[in-house]
Amino acid sequence: MPRRLLPCILLCIWAGALYAQDLAGIEVHGFATQGFLYSSRNNYLSMNSSEGSLQWTDGAISFSDSITDNLRVGIQLHMYQLGQLGGPNLQVDWASGDYRVNDHLGFRAGKVKTVLGLFNDSQDVDAVFLWILLPQSTYPADNKSFLLAHLGGEVYGTISLGHPGRLQYSGYVGQATLDLNGGYVKLFADAGVEFTTAPAGRTYGGDLRWETPLSGLTIGSSANVLALDGTSPEGNLHLPPAFTGVQYAHFKRGKFDFAGEYRRTPLETVLTLGPLVLPLPVDERSWYAMASYRIAEKLHVGSYYSHYVNKAPDQTLPGDYSKDWVLSGRYDFNSYFYGKIEGHFLHGTGLGYFQSSNPTGLKPNSNMLAAKIGFSF
Amino acid sequence: MKLSNKIRWLIIVLGLLGCCSAARAQDVMLLVNKSSQISEISAADLRAIYMGTKTRFSDGSHAMPVTLKGGPAHEVFLKNYLAQRPDEFRAQWRKAVFTGQGAMPRAFDSETALIEFIAATPGALGYVSHIAANDNVKLLTITK
Repeated sequence: MPRRLLPCILLCIWAGALYAQDLAGIEVHGFATQGFLYSSRNNYLSMNSSEGSLQWTDGAISFSDSITDNLRVGIQLHMYQLGQLGGPNLQVDWASGDYRVNDHLGFRAGKVKTVLGLFNDSQDVDAVFLWILLPQSTYPADNKSFLLAHLGGEVYGTISLGHPGRLQYSGYVGQATLDLNGGYVKLFADAGVEFTTAPAGRTYGGDLRWETPLSGLTIGSSANVLALDGTSPEGNLHLPPAFTGVQYAHFKRGKFDFAGEYRRTPLETVLTLGPLVLPLPVDERSWYAMASYRIAEKLHVGSYYSHYVNKAPDQTLPGDYSKDWVLSGRYDFNSYFYGKIEGHFLHGTGLGYFQSSNPTGLKPNSNMLAAKIGFSF
Repeated sequence: MKLSNKIRWLIIVLGLLGCCSAARAQDVMLLVNKSSQISEISAADLRAIYMGTKTRFSDGSHAMPVTLKGGPAHEVFLKNYLAQRPDEFRAQWRKAVFTGQGAMPRAFDSETALIEFIAATPGALGYVSHIAANDNVKLLTITK
């Protein structure tokens, strides 16, 4: 067990005891997870997974308090270690004030989670998912800390339509910052461009989702615009405002659960290295379809297919696509502890691989076995 | 004689099955603080309040949903009014908590503790399997 997991679990147990004692209305919640990954070929997500790796730890603790009926404040601290990504330092996952004027209109300000598609804002909350890895075409684990939250403000609300259902909306503006210990920065570092200060830029966007009159069916659409600029001793990174569009649907009926999502992100990133100007065009198209079934009260199984392709270059090369068939199972030991197991049949090397952890090159296909235990309160 | 014995046993078995199905079909009682001006709530509003998408009663007053930590009444309430299992309900609120979008409803170990809290807290809303006469809580009727 990695040394970092122990303090994390102790922190959670300590906090759980505090919660039980009720800190004058302050709510304390937390989670901790430990994962294992084995891959038949290649090293995935910067882990030494071809030999089996336990370098996969997540933990968070949140504090929140309702100041008045309308105003709530809170903060969540988070740490993660994913292979060579992340580290022992605690990061502020979110920290915000939330003022709800009424059910139709509310405001959040501070560092707030970015709503983009079905799961972007909750992709680091392992306890709420059946899956160990969400579809990597849409929610890449090595870069989740970048898109997860922004520093700024958000307006949100719910509008009841009567018989036609209910609309939920949100809109936001702020600044997004690359995680210096995250995947994008590591990709540049592997290419010889080392950022010592985090590239950042303006972001804005919104989400509209409709709970339809058909019980259990939600459909929606999200949009995000993001610009980015960064400076390193070796050169500069510039991303003009880039638009990401997302369409999604979620259907839940009885013990069945279905979801699907399509996302497109065209980027015109430019890297300047002295006199050399390198355009890095990317046209990412990704989608997934997932289905799950609850076999018993504590046992949940499911499968998904995740598809990613970069349409800008030659799409026939393994480095420009990633197609993943996944089978997954989850068992809840009780309300707090759970275990998961997952098989991946991955074709293509377009996502999740780093040159530094695969110095001898990449094979186009790999199968993987992932397992995870988690605790949440 | 043998036939009448069989009929007797059949009646006993059917009776037991009837009792079981009656137990399954049992409902919970919905309570609010006595100071609340409302006396009924729509099923849609009740669901929205417990799902966190609505924070006010129909009269505009603040609603504070509370729950039991577990047990038959908790399961019956979630199944009958939210169409959810306890783990789904918990997961939904965990998502809200860990994304900074909501605060989990306060949960109680016993119905007695839940009733006491509702009696002492304006706007509090909860459910129990049975209730003795209590001047400080009010029963709510659920409408379609």
